[in-house]
This record gives sequence, C-alpha cells and structure tokens, in this order.
Amino acid sequence: MSEPLPDFRLLRPETLDQALAALAEPGAKPMAGGTDLVVNLRRGLVDAPILVDLSGIAGFATIELSDDGLTIGAGVTLAALAADVGVAARYQAIHDAAEVIAGPGHRAAATVGGNLCLDTRCLYYNQSHWWRKSNDFCLKYRGDTCHVAPKGNRCRAAFSGDLAPALMVFDAIAEIAGPDGRRSLPLAEMYHEDGADYLTLAPGEIVVSVRLPATTANSAYDKIRVRGAVDFPLAGVAIACRDAEGGARSLRLAVTGTNSMPLTIEIADLPAGGDVDQFCADLEKAVQKAVSPQRTTTIQPHYRRLAASALARRLARRLL
Amino acid sequence: MTTPRTNTAAGSRAPLIDGIEKVTGQAIYTADMETEDCLIGRVLRSPVSHGRIVSIDVSKAAALPGVVGIVTGDDCALTYGVIPIAMNEYPMARDKVRYRGEPVAAVAAINADIAAQALDLIELNIEKLPANYEPSDSRRPDAAQLHDDKPGNLEREVHHHFGDMAAGWAEADLIREGTFRGAETNHAQLEPHAALAEYDPERERLTLHSVSQVPFYVHLMLARCMEMDSSRIRVVKPFVGGGFGARTETLNFELICGLLARKCGGKVMMRLSREETFVTHRGRPDTEVRLKIGLTKTGKITAVECEVTMSGGAYAGYGLVSILYAGALLQGIYDIPNVKYDGYRVYTNHPPCGAMRGHGTVDVRHGFESLLDRMARELGVDPFAVRRANLLQAPMFTLNGLMVNSYGLGECLDKVEAASGWAERRGKLPPGRGLGMACSHYVSGAAKPVHWTGEPHAVVAMKLDFDGSVTVLTGASDIGQGSTTIVAIAAAEILGIDMGRVRVVTNDSAITPKDNGSYSSRVTFMVGNAAIEAAKALRVKLINAAAKKLEANPEDIECEGETFYVRGGSQSVLAFQDVVFAALAEEGTITVKGTFTTPIEAQGGKHRGGAVGSTMGFSYAAQVVEIEVDTDTGQIRIEKVWAALDCGYAINRLAVEGQIEGSVWMGMGQGMSEETRYVDGLPAHASFLDYRFPTIVESPDIEVHIVESIDPLGPFGAKEAGEGALSGFPPALVNAVADAIGMEVDFLPLTPDRVMEELIKMRRKARRKEVSA
Repeated sequence: MSEPLPDFRLLRPETLDQALAALAEPGAKPMAGGTDLVVNLRRGLVDAPILVDLSGIAGFATIELSDDGLTIGAGVTLAALAADVGVAARYQAIHDAAEVIAGPGHRAAATVGGNLCLDTRCLYYNQSHWWRKSNDFCLKYRGDTCHVAPKGNRCRAAFSGDLAPALMVFDAIAEIAGPDGRRSLPLAEMYHEDGADYLTLAPGEIVVSVRLPATTANSAYDKIRVRGAVDFPLAGVAIACRDAEGGARSLRLAVTGTNSMPLTIEIADLPAGGDVDQFCADLEKAVQKAVSPQRTTTIQPHYRRLAASALARRLARRLL
Repeated sequence: MTTPRTNTAAGSRAPLIDGIEKVTGQAIYTADMETEDCLIGRVLRSPVSHGRIVSIDVSKAAALPGVVGIVTGDDCALTYGVIPIAMNEYPMARDKVRYRGEPVAAVAAINADIAAQALDLIELNIEKLPANYEPSDSRRPDAAQLHDDKPGNLEREVHHHFGDMAAGWAEADLIREGTFRGAETNHAQLEPHAALAEYDPERERLTLHSVSQVPFYVHLMLARCMEMDSSRIRVVKPFVGGGFGARTETLNFELICGLLARKCGGKVMMRLSREETFVTHRGRPDTEVRLKIGLTKTGKITAVECEVTMSGGAYAGYGLVSILYAGALLQGIYDIPNVKYDGYRVYTNHPPCGAMRGHGTVDVRHGFESLLDRMARELGVDPFAVRRANLLQAPMFTLNGLMVNSYGLGECLDKVEAASGWAERRGKLPPGRGLGMACSHYVSGAAKPVHWTGEPHAVVAMKLDFDGSVTVLTGASDIGQGSTTIVAIAAAEILGIDMGRVRVVTNDSAITPKDNGSYSSRVTFMVGNAAIEAAKALRVKLINAAAKKLEANPEDIECEGETFYVRGGSQSVLAFQDVVFAALAEEGTITVKGTFTTPIEAQGGKHRGGAVGSTMGFSYAAQVVEIEVDTDTGQIRIEKVWAALDCGYAINRLAVEGQIEGSVWMGMGQGMSEETRYVDGLPAHASFLDYRFPTIVESPDIEVHIVESIDPLGPFGAKEAGEGALSGFPPALVNAVADAIGMEVDFLPLTPDRVMEELIKMRRKARRKEVSA
C-alpha cells in the first residue's frame, strides 16, 4: 500500500461560481484529475483541509474548434484531447503532447488544466515524509535550503507539464477565473521561474480554458525520457512553423522539463533560400544556451540540455 | 528419471491452475486480510546512514490515545539471517544503525493515521558516524567499520583457483582484459511487502501470514527471534504477487509484526509502502567485474581470471552465497581449463542486497559475454563460432566439481542463429541498427540447502479419499511462477487422471509438508520429482486394488484416461472411481508421500564454498537481440529478441514460454534502465516512477524457442526455466550496440544519458585520431 491519505473535505461544485466560492474557503485547493495531487497528498506534500473537485463543473470539459481558433476547456481529459481528430489535424503539437503524457490510466483522468498547473518536480521534493524529514526538508516545502543549488535563493524544481509548450507555440491565451472575476493572459505569462512559486495565479484563481487563434502552422512536440511511457519529460520541445513574408519560414519554439517554467525561445526566421543546416545548428545552440536544467532528477543536467537541443534540431528539420 | 507416461498432462500448454482467482480479483493476498479487530503496525526507520543509538524515547508515542503497543530493538536481542553462519541483523536496530531506512522501532495502533502520528512522537537520539557508500570507501584503511567482527568491512572474500593459470596464458594467442560495472537493481515485484500476525496470549501461539517465498525459513526465524517453540508457530503463505528473490529470506517486517502482535496480545496488520518495500531491498548488488580471458586463434578459451567486488549493503543476508555464486558459475557453461576467481563482498551503508533472479551470476555473465565478443571481433571469429568452440560434452564435471548431466546449449545456438537470420543479416543492417548475441545458464536448485538438516530436499504428500479426488499437499511456494500447476500436472500425468480431479493445497505449516521454499529455481526439479514419487506410490496402491478386482497380476495393469485395464486385454475396464472404492475398502483414506534427495555427486566440489553453484542440472540459453541506437539522443530501441532455452523438458510449455519471456524482459530492464540510486544513503528510486523498469512501450517481440535435452535426473527430464535466459540479455544488448555503432560499453544500465556521454567520448576520440592522422 502507499502512505495513507490524510483527512480532507472533498467538495464537488457543479458550477464555476460554486467552485470559486468553495476555493475561497481557508486552505481550499483545487483538484482536477488528481493523478499528481493524490500522490502528493499521500506523501504529505499538500496541506489541504478542503479539496475542490473541478470535474463536475458544467461546460468545463468542452473542445470548441472553429475557423476562428480553438478553445479547450480546463476539464478536458488528456485522453479526450489526444483523441480529438480536429485538434490533431490543425494543432499537431498539442495532439503529440497529449498522447504521450504519463500512461493511459493517467490520461483517462488527468486534465488540461491540471497539466498546465502541474506542480514542479524535484528529486528532493517528490519523496515521502520520512525521506524529506531525514534530509531536513527543502526550500519548496517546510525547509530553508534548496538541496539542488544550496547557495541559491530560489527553488529549482522543474516544471514538467507537456501541454504548456505545445500550447505556447500557438500563442495560447489562458482564461482565468477568480474571486475578483475573470481575466485572460498569454499562457506564457502564467509561469514564474521559481519552482516553489511557479504560477502567477492569485489565490483562489483557476484556469477555465485556453484559447488559441486559428493557425496554418505545421507543428510537432517530442520529448526525451528514459522510458517511453509513464516518465515525466527530462526535456520536451514544441515547435510550430509557419510561412512568413517573402517565402521566409518563421519558427515558434517552447521547451519544458528543463527549467522551473516552460520557456519560449526566440528564433530568428529562416529567410527564403537560407541555409537550413546552418539554421538548425544555430537553433541547437540557441536552445542549449536558453535552457537551464538542474540536478532535479538522477539524470544528469548536461544530458537534458543536449537532448533538448537535439530534439529541437530534429523537429525543426522535419517541419521546415 | 521418470518419463511422462502418456503426455496428456505433461508437455501440454496448461493455464496456471490458480490463475482464475488472480485474473478475477478473487485471490486473497496478505494485504487483503485485514479485519475489524486488526491493529495497524508501522515501522520507524533510521534517518541516518550510520550512527550509534544513544536513546529511543517512546513515552510520548505510547501516551497517544489509540496506540496499543510499541516495540524497539530492546524487544529482541537475537539476530536473524538466512545463512546460519552469517546472521548479523536484528529485527530492529540495537546499539547501531547502518543504513537509512533500517527499522528502529514499530508501533501498533487502532488505525494507520494514529500509527503514523505515533512514529513522529518517538524521539530518536542517534550519534552520527561516517558512512561508506562505495566499496572503495569501505575498504580504505581509515574507513568507519560497520561490524566489529568484520575488519575492513569485508563480509566474505573468496579465492578459488583451478588448473594452471600460467600454462593457460601461455597457450593463448590473444589475452584481453575488461572492467564492467553493473548498477544495483531491485526485484520491483508488484505486491508490496505485508504481514499479518495474530498472537493468542491464552495458548501462547502465533499465526503469521506473509508474502514470503520461504515460509519455512520465516518459521525458523520467528521461533528464534521470539524465543518460541516452533510448534507454537504457524506460518501461512497466501497468494503472493511476485518474488524474484525479494522474499527468499526472512525479512525484518515479518519478525517485527510477530513481536508487535505478541506485545499487543492480538492481531497486527503491517502493510509496507512501496518506498519501505524498496528500502527492505535484497536485490542485486552494485557489482564490479574485472575479467581477463585468454583465447587461441580459433576462439578456444585457455584461461579466465575474474575479480568481483559487490557492494553488499549493511548486513550479511545472502551475501556470501552471492559472492560464491559469482565465481562458481564462471563454470558449467563453457569448457574452461584454467580459472582464477577472487571475490569480495563488501559492507556499505545501504540497505542489504540479497538474492535476485539469476542470483550472483548476472553481472559476471555480462562481463564475460561482452569481453568474449570483443575478443572474437578482434580475432575475426563469428560470435556464434567462438561459443561453439567452447561447448561442453555432457555428462561431465567441471573443474570446480559442478555436475553437468545434460547440455542443450549447442542446440540453443543453432535455433537463435537460424531464427534471427544472423548469417544473412548481420553487418547488412541500416546505420544505427545492430545484432548482438550471448549465452547464459542457471542452476536447477541448489544441491545443498542453506539450512542443512539431512532431511530430503522436498516432500510431497497426497491424499485419496471417498470422493475420488486427489489432494496434493505441498509447502512449495507459488509466487506466480507456476509451481502449484507443476505439482498438479505431475500427479495427473502419473495417475492418468484429469487435472480437474487434483486439488493442490499449499503453504500452511499446520497442514502441508515442510518445503525449503522458492529460490534458486529448485521447485520444479525437487518438488516435481517428489510429486512424481508420491503419485507413483498412490498408483501402486490403485493398481494393486485394480489387479485384485480384475484377478490379474499388478504388472499387467495399465492405468490411463481415468480407467484401469489388463494390458493387451479388451474385456474388463474399471473406471477410476471403482478402483478408488476398491482401494479404500482395503485401508480407508489413502495417504502417501514422495520425497526427493539430491544425489551426493551433485553437491559440488570439496573446496570451501564448493556447495554453492552445485545443482542437479543447469538450464542453458542463447539469445539474439536486435537494436537501433539513436545517436542524437542516446536512446536505444529493442527491435526484437530471439531466445532459446534448454529446460530439459517443458512440463508446461505455456509456463515455460512465459518464464523465458519474463527472464528476457527482466534482463532487458537491467540492461536498459533499471537501477537503484541513493542520495547520501536515501533512496532516489523508491517508487515505480523512479525505479524505471521497462513499460510495454519498450517491450519488444520476444520469439521463444524451447530446447529439450532431457536431463537424466529431472522430473520427466525437466530442468529450471525461470532464470537461465535472464543474464544473456544485457551482454547481447551491449554486443548489439557494438555491432550497430562500433561503441564498446562497460556499464549497465544503458540509460540514454550514459550512452550519450559515451558517444561524446567516442566522437572526441575519433576526432583526435583524425587530427593525428
């Protein structure tokens, strides 16, 4: 058996307003698919006297695809997203990412909102109470030292969600609801480079949906991990490639798994008739320079850097 | 040897007879047995790797409402262990702790929450000592000592020399050396550890249900550590969700659960978390193998020198057997005229290692088959040819006294060579693709058990009663490998009856005969033979009764298809039930038993430690692995595996195929991705997310071939089938990498980060060569 679940109250609101009201209660935390949260609860990583289950909210799990763009409800399961043929046809990277997250059992329960807000991960954090206590806890939770970078002053835990980069290359907008009403912001701005405080969401705020403009881009997502299922990404790369003025090709590139937030990496356009080999070599260097993997897993940071850049080069070559 | 009589049961493809309960969810495992009157036990574990226990204050925990009992090292001053001469572990630490996670106290409470709260209230005062995590640290002259009676932190060193090494090197045309390092691995069996202990204070009796592969050894250790007469103890093994060696010795939680139940005078359920199950360990040690091999131009082995260092963890466990196996099983597979082996099993401040599928042999076989392949390449000899140049001729005894009565390795080589298209395809695959091969072997049961009592190695009892059913009683522990089904097949085959007439009752010390347990692949060979003997004894009684009824000589009676008749005669046929009534009329309920004892000549050489590795028969395996290496990312994909195993005779073909596939798959895990990792002694691998055994995505098509060499001592000619094919995979993988991209790899597992690092080194070397050329 695993560690026993701590006691908590589970609320199951049926409307967004009820959910926001429930989340306003002291100590309340949202629960989406629960595939990561329940593990963390058992490990004593979550202080939550109240859990607000978002899966029953009406209209929370819809995918709306039109000529104007795509809207994905936060409650859409990863399995449903991966199975959507419209998404696969127009936003390949999103399909690619959803299809390979964790294992089939996880994808049946896990949601888009949950994956976007997935807690950051670290060798020193995702452990049992006994383990963390034996190691004097850590900066992310209950301790005052980051064991990954003891001299630094922030938590280095890695953001490991696959969907964020795949959405970011399409300039996705997050629709957010909270106690002060609704707002929208570019998805990339929903994240901080701080493993202990990686979301810019205010207390009580949740992601309701993500909105993407219509696109003609070719796109793809791929990631590196030791096993072809279950494992979180050591590095994941999404690229969308679209035609720009004068026959140039314009690339949007985003990376996950290497930093405490998903990163957008700026890449100059490939001019018409440009040297593709040189472009790919430059892109590989740009990725190596931008990412900052740390000792948050037993797999060496250097490898994750090389793997991220190799994936980026390979995807770019495929899409150009 | 008893040959199958009709091959109606033996040699068939029988689904496991206990499979229905498992796939329908009806099987009751230990952790399922909680009842309302059950207390919940939890273990407090050491937060430090090495330290002196100054004090353990349980007073606050004891005062917590709902806490019923607490035990500490003070409650048991007796050590336990599987090897009688190496019992150096206490159920809970006394005086010193030696690894992070070692039990120091345990609590029984009315529920799991209170038990967990109580653990936090126990005040531990431990004075930290320096810790050693690597054998090289442990062996430094100034290293902290784990055990006062083991200077230099050496649990056991072995020095076995056979033949004339100088002559062997002199005959060699090519001598090469290599050093190989294999990471520590864990069984990662699906079922976490659990035990249920019930103590009856009125009668002073204890009943323990546990996940053990060796309930008999657990029984002995409970009696020892709880200072109880063994007659007052009953040990039951319910359904078990996998073992692979994790449970081939008594484990601390089994003893702690018994101690807690006695302290509380009641029933205690102890369900370990996955992390605790990992920390209990007993897996394959981190092993360094230094090898030197001499070959003639044609690939004939002239001499082998091997030094093995195992990072054994903090206690003895099976350690001395592991380090002896590693040397002994250099032999028994090829003709090696001169062998020098030096082994060191070193104490480190990690959880203790133990027996794991392919016990002691896997890393040595990996090094051997890898170096042999490299040398064959250097000599321009085909990898198959170099193995064929060194085949044994059975029957024979090896230099170290191992008996080889049957030997199907040559046929295994033929099968996988043909099936994989080796001759046509090797060297002609696209870039990044490669083929590699290797051979392996394993014992069919240790000829000498670890607790040597002089008793038969196996006893099976059978009962025939008024209902015409045959009840087989055995202590053999089915851990998923199919031993219960083997026993049923043996009974049905010998008695000529339908398997549906046979019921097998297992693993309850109050009911079933003692059995040493499921380890070293002993059960099919030993218990299978005992079951055949028991069935034959029962058949004699039935034939005598039939003969009397048919007024014929017993020698002329045949029994098959649930009927008895006079051989050659066609008139009188008796139904099985009629013969049962006739036999029961003579003596009432019939009980018989069969036994198996290993022949003395199978029990190994006379040298110290010579019994380890000795067996009645070795299984042999050859496999070919086809891979593709992604040189951008260091990832390796297994395309296909062809595996052939000589199991003597396949009593249950379906189970043999499953065992070969499972062995290959587990070897693949060790080759590709499985490893334990520690951070200053804390496990960084203690979940199924972080301990990366392969998923179905990595699992290739495995084409299985069965070779039947018919062993003269085996049950129906059978040998073991569950371990032999494991250790061939890692070297076949490494040899395939060499074939695919010309890269020699000295480590396991081949995780993408390590492969990438090696690729970078290889590219640098190539660039340097280019520059200098």
